[in-house]
Amino acid sequence: MAKKPAVQTALHKVIMVGSGGVGKSALTLQFMYDEFVENYEPTKADSYRKKVLLDGEDVQIDILDTAGQEDYAAIRDNYFRSGEGFLCIFSITEDESFQATQEFREQILRVKNDENIPFLLVGNKSDLQDKRKVTFQEASDRANKWGVPYVETSAKTREHVDKVFYDLMREIRARKMEENKTNNGRGKDKNKKKKLKCVIL
Amino acid sequence: MDFDSPDVMKDFPGLYASELNKKCNNDSDYSDETDKGNKKDMLIGKRKDKKDKKDKEKGYAALEGESSADEECKSRSPSKTKKSKSFKFTTKSKDKREKSREKEKDTGDKKKERDKKNDKKTEKEKNKKVKNYEDALDIAEALPIFGVNLETAVERSRCHDGIDIPLPIRECIDYIESAGTSFEGIYKISGTKSKVLLIRKMYNNRQNINLNDYDVPTATSLLKMFLRDLPEPIFTSDSLVRFEEAGAILNLNTREKHLKILVDNLPPLNKLLLSWLIIHLDNISLNQTHNKMTKQNISAALNHTFHSSSRLLHALLHHCRALFPDLTITKYIPPLSSGQTLPDDLETMEIELKKQESLLTQIHTEMNVGCISKEREELLWEVQRIITQLKRKIKTAHKEKEPIVPQEKEEPEPVEVSVEEPIKEPEPIVEPENRPTEPEPTLENTIEHLEEIPQDDDNDKPMILTDSSLLLLKFKNNGLLALKERLERNILEEQKEILSLKNQLLPEKPSVVPSNEGLDELMSLLQKENQILQINKINLVRKIIEQQEICIELKAKLELSNQV
Ligand SMILES: Nc1nc2c(ncn2[C@@H]2O[C@H](COP(=O)(O)OP(=O)(O)OP(=O)(O)O)[C@@H](O)[C@H]2O)c(=O)[nH]1
Ligand SMILES: [Mg+2]
Repeated sequence: MAKKPAVQTALHKVIMVGSGGVGKSALTLQFMYDEFVENYEPTKADSYRKKVLLDGEDVQIDILDTAGQEDYAAIRDNYFRSGEGFLCIFSITEDESFQATQEFREQILRVKNDENIPFLLVGNKSDLQDKRKVTFQEASDRANKWGVPYVETSAKTREHVDKVFYDLMREIRARKMEENKTNNGRGKDKNKKKKLKCVIL
Repeated sequence: MDFDSPDVMKDFPGLYASELNKKCNNDSDYSDETDKGNKKDMLIGKRKDKKDKKDKEKGYAALEGESSADEECKSRSPSKTKKSKSFKFTTKSKDKREKSREKEKDTGDKKKERDKKNDKKTEKEKNKKVKNYEDALDIAEALPIFGVNLETAVERSRCHDGIDIPLPIRECIDYIESAGTSFEGIYKISGTKSKVLLIRKMYNNRQNINLNDYDVPTATSLLKMFLRDLPEPIFTSDSLVRFEEAGAILNLNTREKHLKILVDNLPPLNKLLLSWLIIHLDNISLNQTHNKMTKQNISAALNHTFHSSSRLLHALLHHCRALFPDLTITKYIPPLSSGQTLPDDLETMEIELKKQESLLTQIHTEMNVGCISKEREELLWEVQRIITQLKRKIKTAHKEKEPIVPQEKEEPEPVEVSVEEPIKEPEPIVEPENRPTEPEPTLENTIEHLEEIPQDDDNDKPMILTDSSLLLLKFKNNGLLALKERLERNILEEQKEILSLKNQLLPEKPSVVPSNEGLDELMSLLQKENQILQINKINLVRKIIEQQEICIELKAKLELSNQV
């Protein structure tokens, strides 16, 4: 794991969640390859890796683009568990997708068992203002309630696309540094236990 | 029935192999070949010394590791008490576990502790999904590859190219075919116990194994161990007796016909595995000038492994090309890992995508039952990444091919799409038998065979029918006809007997099943015992018939000479 972040390039694992058709893949592809695809192709699961410069530091980002469609929900847990940070996407043009974020949040907390997991609430398709169904206010209220940032993006115009990924990576990085500190201090016992267990296995 | 009938036992020394392996495993995991003498001792309670002598006479290369393991097992269960002991090793935890895990057999070390652990874990497995690493199951314990039934083993250790034989077997065959067919005494000489056990453990842990790091005897011993650890013989418990019967037929054409029918009726996975093994062993025998392993030698070295007689193995090897006409052994190329460069041409990419998706499915399956670890998650993301890359590449390749009408390729699902289209071997058209429902094939086969003797056998020399030879044949025929009649009467009686026994059996069954704990164990032991008795019977029947045949021939000659 990230025991020696100074030596190895840090790797941050980001997971895209949200209902079908909200633009998870569109955001990912825009971030990865600067491309935007108009036609909708539901995802089962996709994974990407990219080298980026995060505040002057070379890091790698792993992005896991999950399925919004319920048909593929069964395998989500396996991915959620290994995610270090989450972008929870809805479309500002579809209220249902906004309501669904509540469930996604719960599922993530259930799997990760961690209230402070790096997490951003993202309202996508901000270029479609005339079709807006979810107001900025109600979305940021929900984000406040959860104690997470709220950002609006457009995968089409690339507005705030980099921002959401970089902001999340910063949160993940901060989180890891915090963990390292506690591990070096009183957290040693915990480490030992884990190690012992590994040996047995 | 006489258990001590030495010839019969010589032919079926491997029957109790799995039971014994388990027993030995408490002390020593290494069961391969160690119990050659032992299991017979268990059943018969003697003749250990004889057997040892015989081995030496035959020039069996007995490795140190083996003989010591042999001793170890032996000393724990002195031969005198063996028989009764073999009925006692039922432990409650094991019994429970077997039920809950559909009779997977444990092959690992520290069996007892593990049984207890597994009990707990299987419960967990059922009740809730494992969420965190502390609750994670150890994959080697929860989902072992060795010692489980074939279907499970294939599921757990897939070859991702769609050929559904267990990975350890495939890799052993690949390695042996490429490196070892000229190794002298191959399959007879055993590998080092500790190495074989280590590799088994690595397979159970899903580690990557490069058999090139080891040697031929190690690979052959591993392969043999895998097969012997199977809870059910590859011929299936139901059909083993029939296979033995068919293998004992003397007339080659009839034998082939019967074996073919039996082979084609095996469950697909059993048939596939059998075909690969037999063709592989045939390849070994083709190199007998170097490796000194004739079909005969191979059969003698592997009969325990197959839980069968060497006669049956020999028969399968003899007819292998007719039984498995279309099979060629292809080397397994595993899915690429992330360091390797992806292929460029469309067809190879599609093949690779299938493999990766099969692998992904397997990882998900393992994780879904609670076998989670950082490494496995790492692998999950990696495989997923390769799949994503491949799909992108394939898409652009398609676009380049047909720029205007992009081919709507249905994307395979990562979860459900596994190796769902395994090689469907073209079902060879089985010639329908004259008597499709034979209740007692033993006798009939033999009769058939006896009838055919005069017409065709190995020697195709045209017969010169002199008066006396014609007469001889006539006498013989009379004798045979009488025999046939007698046997047919017997069959009828036996059928009646079977029917009445069945009637007695039916109403009892439901009341017995739920009652006792050790009953299952006892039942399976009795079934095994029954099996061995049946095979003994067949052998005796075969011998009787052979004798009768000789008698008839002699009688005919006598009559002829009387006439003259
Ligand atoms: N106008 C506009 N359209 C968008 C935007 N983001 C995505 N879309 C469109 O919305 C549709 C769905 O986008 P996807 O990215 O495939 O949706 P998804 O969330 O990945 O859906 P699933 O894979 O089924 O979970 C596509 O037709 C995209 O072109 C956006 O920011 N603006
Ligand atoms: Mg998508």
